[in-house]
Amino acid sequence: MTVEALTSTQKGLWWGAVIGGFVIVLAVAALLTILVVLVRRIDQRVVKVRETLHAARDNTADTALIGETADRVDAVLAEGLQHHLFLGRVLDKVRS
Amino acid sequence: MTTLVVLSVIDIALLIAGLAFYLFVVGSQLTRIAKNLEECANTVREIVGNAEVIRPGVEHINRTGRVIAGALPLLYGMAEGIVKGVTPRPAEPPVRGPARPASGRRRSRLHDSVGYVPSGASQQNAGVAE
Repeated sequence: MTVEALTSTQKGLWWGAVIGGFVIVLAVAALLTILVVLVRRIDQRVVKVRETLHAARDNTADTALIGETADRVDAVLAEGLQHHLFLGRVLDKVRS
Repeated sequence: MTTLVVLSVIDIALLIAGLAFYLFVVGSQLTRIAKNLEECANTVREIVGNAEVIRPGVEHINRTGRVIAGALPLLYGMAEGIVKGVTPRPAEPPVRGPARPASGRRRSRLHDSVGYVPSGASQQNAGVAE
């Protein structure tokens, strides 16, 4: 097996490739650091959104009582109709 | 040439290690975000379920309340008619006499303060006292 010596041009190109590779590694590290920072910010905002949604869920947890309130208001209306009938009978007796 | 080979290997190893590290970090962050977003989605579904009953319930309450508010004037009109019908009215006298003071005629105390007793004062006082 014979190993041929590299020419100076090939050595220069290789050195250039190695240095360019280091530069690319540094650039990739910088860009990925920016990516990590942005993703961390997204994580923090998502946590805030989750807390806000939990508060909204707690605020709307008792909305089932609205239907019950509607039923009670219907009961008030029915009682008012009974009062109407009673007052009508009494008024007829008072007038007669 | 050996130096170039070593540097090339180090370069490639650094690139692969850096990519692996950042991939691990970003992967863990995205996993946490996905878990939080899934919890958010469940919470939103719960909120939607809670809010579905608000509109029909409030419309029901408003409709019934409108009926009650419209019927209340009729009720208190009837109540006023009943009160007017059962309140006794005193009969007024046919002829009313002149108005007289209830205290009678006033008696002066000036004579008493100076020790003077006019003639017939006892009778007058007796008349006033009556």
